[in-house]
Amino acid sequence: MPTLTIDGQQVTVPEKTNVIEAAKTLGIEIPHYCYHPGLSVAGNCRMCMVEIEKAPKLAIGCFTPCTEGMVVFTNTEKVKQARKDVLEFLLSNHPLDCPVCDQAGECWLQIYYMQHGQYESRMMENKIKKSKKATSIGPHVNLDQERCVLCGRCVRFCDEITKTHELGIFGRGNREELDVFPGKQLDNRYSGNVVDICPVGALTDRDFRFQVRVWYLGVQDSVCPGCSRGCNIQIHYNRNRPHHGHGRRVARLKPRYNSHVNQFWMCDEGRYGYKFVDAGDRIISPMLRRGAELQMATWGETLAASAERIRAVNPSQIGVIAWPQLTNEELYLVRRLFVDGLGCKNVSFSVPSKKDGGGDDFLITADKNPNTRGAGEIGLPIADSTGDILQAASRGEFKLLHIFGHDLLSSGLDQPLVESALAATETVIFQGSNSHLTVDRADIVLPSATFAEKSGSFTNFEGRVQRIHEAVPPLGDALPDWQILNRMARALEMGWDYQGTEHIFKELAENVAAFSGLSYCVLGDQGELLGYKPTNEAHIPTEPVTTVII
Amino acid sequence: MPEKILTKHFDVPGFRELGVYRQHGGYAAVEKALGMEPAAIQDEIKRANLVGLGGAGFPAGVKWGFVPQNTPKPKYLVVNGDEGEPATFKDRYLLEYAPHQLIEGMIICSYVVGIHKAYVYVRGEYVKQINILRHAVEEAKAENLLGENILGSGFHLDVVVHQGAGAYICGEETGLIESLEGKKGWPRIKPPFFPAAIGLFQCPTVINNVETLSHVPHIVNNGAEWFASLGTEKNGGTRVFAVSGHVRKPGIYELPIGTPLREIIYEHAGGVRDDRPVKAVIPGGSSSPVLTADQLDTNMDFISLRNAGTMGGSGGVVVMDDTTCMVDICANISNFYAHESCGQCTPCREGTSWASKILNRILEGAGRMEDIDEAIRICRNMMGRTVCLLADGAAMPILSYLTKFRREFEYHVENSECDVKKSH
Amino acid sequence: MTKFKSLVGQYEETRAALLPVLHLAQRAFAQITPEVEEYIADLMQLPPVKVHEVFTFYTLYRKKPSGKHVIRLCKTLSCHLLGAESIREHLCKKIGLHNGSDTTEDGRFTLELVECMGACELAPMMQIDERYYGPLTPEKVDAIIDGLTDEPAADEVN
Repeated sequence: MPTLTIDGQQVTVPEKTNVIEAAKTLGIEIPHYCYHPGLSVAGNCRMCMVEIEKAPKLAIGCFTPCTEGMVVFTNTEKVKQARKDVLEFLLSNHPLDCPVCDQAGECWLQIYYMQHGQYESRMMENKIKKSKKATSIGPHVNLDQERCVLCGRCVRFCDEITKTHELGIFGRGNREELDVFPGKQLDNRYSGNVVDICPVGALTDRDFRFQVRVWYLGVQDSVCPGCSRGCNIQIHYNRNRPHHGHGRRVARLKPRYNSHVNQFWMCDEGRYGYKFVDAGDRIISPMLRRGAELQMATWGETLAASAERIRAVNPSQIGVIAWPQLTNEELYLVRRLFVDGLGCKNVSFSVPSKKDGGGDDFLITADKNPNTRGAGEIGLPIADSTGDILQAASRGEFKLLHIFGHDLLSSGLDQPLVESALAATETVIFQGSNSHLTVDRADIVLPSATFAEKSGSFTNFEGRVQRIHEAVPPLGDALPDWQILNRMARALEMGWDYQGTEHIFKELAENVAAFSGLSYCVLGDQGELLGYKPTNEAHIPTEPVTTVII
Repeated sequence: MPEKILTKHFDVPGFRELGVYRQHGGYAAVEKALGMEPAAIQDEIKRANLVGLGGAGFPAGVKWGFVPQNTPKPKYLVVNGDEGEPATFKDRYLLEYAPHQLIEGMIICSYVVGIHKAYVYVRGEYVKQINILRHAVEEAKAENLLGENILGSGFHLDVVVHQGAGAYICGEETGLIESLEGKKGWPRIKPPFFPAAIGLFQCPTVINNVETLSHVPHIVNNGAEWFASLGTEKNGGTRVFAVSGHVRKPGIYELPIGTPLREIIYEHAGGVRDDRPVKAVIPGGSSSPVLTADQLDTNMDFISLRNAGTMGGSGGVVVMDDTTCMVDICANISNFYAHESCGQCTPCREGTSWASKILNRILEGAGRMEDIDEAIRICRNMMGRTVCLLADGAAMPILSYLTKFRREFEYHVENSECDVKKSH
Repeated sequence: MTKFKSLVGQYEETRAALLPVLHLAQRAFAQITPEVEEYIADLMQLPPVKVHEVFTFYTLYRKKPSGKHVIRLCKTLSCHLLGAESIREHLCKKIGLHNGSDTTEDGRFTLELVECMGACELAPMMQIDERYYGPLTPEKVDAIIDGLTDEPAADEVN
């Protein structure tokens, strides 16, 4: 473990740490483009040069391993001038696209040139023209070759992470062009990541193109609900420009670093799967069926109606199809209300889907729900399966079905079975966020918040419990499921009084053995595994969180 | 006449044939070497002061010693026959007229370092020479001079002649290795990728120029003292100078390495055409800073040339008389580097073409006075900050033209025409 | 195919044979197209992108279909000093090459202006197919062009 000095400060680092990472631990940022901690080191941008005592030339920090007694200077005049010169070279052929470039505001040419005062251009020559400008090279990615600084991060990503080798740098010298093989596309399941790692606006997101300027975006940590991997994400939401981006509040999702789950990456299905949050089919008002029609109603009316109908039947006549999209806290309340509170024994949660993309050997899992594991740990299902519940319902054994979220009529379940179950049941209560065929069959509709509109936690397939946070308020009159269940319990006079999700989680941790020892504080922002053994020491995250240029 | 080593028998018909080569003492050095201790041979090479004649001038015997003795990995010899440096054509002759001399040197070097597979990387345009060398390799194999159990010694060596595909950067050691591995010729970062440690296929590799290795059999035959005595204190033996430009007799001239430039031009290359005065001379390939007419008494060994502010480089000498427009030559050279930059790292990729654009503008009459200092600034900003030395090889000569002949550039800017062309 | 196998067999790693294989392909297929690259990539178990990177990096792999004879005229340093530019003008007239194009209309000649070919003592010089010619004068250019046959060159690399 060598000890070295950087800018006068001593630090001890593990073997083979490079100077950039060592400096990071001291809070010193060494500017760079081609280096990325999740990829192999290239050493070609020449931006990260530092001065090392006794070395005749400046050395690149990314390729220099720390050695015992090394003395590094990251901010001398020589180093600063070298950075300015490299920036000048990069800008010499860079098109003046800022006004029309999506990267503006998060562009590392902009950021560094402002930091280093490289304001004046002395380049009088014609800038080089390249073949592809604003051309889509895949379903999700646009390429502008003139903006490319040829750092090669995207090429290394496709070589090393997805191992699909779609991208290459062709040609020689400053006629080089980043491109796909003629006639091919960048269409692997993780293509959106190249946009994250491109430090400039060469690779941009087609979905996000011209939607909203990044300085209008707010950022909130969350977890992707697309599958049971639970990739850590950031939700970027539009704060100030509701008339941009088609009025969508959630503008995009970006991966968030977690060394245990997804490192720096997320898949495209998850990345682009946020549209449902602001889609036109969101249910924004509680509804009651009056006669043949579903009509808007108030929370008071619908909850009272729900409570009345629940009280009117025997618990053995109630079927509950919960949802592994619900948080741990919500699933716990489902159990508390229906199983413990009412004595209902017919609670399931999983519903086969008609088709999905399947899993892979990297991040994507076959289970397209974020909280299957959580549901299991909390003690669901009680019934054998959703199929059994529907069988019973179609036999007329159930008077009331409470369905959370699922569109049974578009699922992989036997459709005639679903039809007959719905037809045979007197009261169908639907609680979910987006409207669909099954919602149209409900008698009572309770609008719930999406994952982006509530806080709570999911448990991924490996048993890691991870927190989600509210990024935007629930749309219309929708409420987080835990609040709906809270109110419903009160309407059923169960005397609940949960003040917030942390309150629920605390009780959950006390009552479910697997969650014992966990708390929001312990979960932090990288999550924690079930079966946690608390110590008397202050909880320190198991690995330092890397702030990376993404 | 100074003693010739490498080109001694160039006028013997059929010298490239194995039989004729052997008649003139060929492969005697291999026989002798196979009976010596490898360390003893390496010592001879060191004491002979044989230096790298591809351009770096680094002591060859020392370089061989960088390869670790005990390593589980196979070791490789790579012969650099890429000869891309403008003004250089000596290796073309050595390959065409004395292929067996090179093979002999390769065998001895491999024997010393413990190498059993050698590649000769020849630039793709040298089709004729590649064919000749391949034929020579086949002849040697047929006579048990290559392959298994060479001359019954138990030592084995295989040789593959590899055709390049047109890229100057593949003359750079690690660029060559990348190209030999089937990739773009992007040089590697050093450290850690010094070829002696991590070279071809990630194995320890010796990489030497064609001419350097061609000297090896003669050192083995005649001894280190003899070779060293032909040269200067630090650089032994002869080198094959490639002389071109405004001389009457362009061609190769093998001379002791310390020969003065004036002698090369006037006593061997026939002097300047039409007896015109010399204006400038490039001493060691296009990457070497230019010498002016008052520097013709410089000796052509690496140390003397370095002291004169230039370098020995590839031994490519270009003589320019007073009809030469230096702006034209400077722009021409800068275009070469811009075309050949591999593009891997920022300063070289952008700097070579930026400088080239400025110089072309000055040449075409659209220059501004600031351009001269701009070009100087850009050249300086490239140097010392890149993965390999192509950028320095571009910057140093351009800087030398801009400083030594600044007046000509200023004239072009002020008058949008060339004063040299006007008066000739 | 036999040539391909014997080429690959000489190298410790298959990929190392790529440059010679592309030379072979250029002779066999006249023009290396993306289809040819994919074919080679498949044979050598390489991603097509890596083959394309090599193809576009090196000057000797022709990016466009060329005429029967490829003329490479050197434009660097000594050749430039000794009049390569006027040789170029004369050569263009001789073979009937008009401005803007690099291949003659009859498809016989492609002219490329190239960097130093390592034959500065022959300046100004050119390479036609695989042979070097120099020092050139307008008269010599005429004689060389007139003397060209359209049979395969004798000096092809084996």
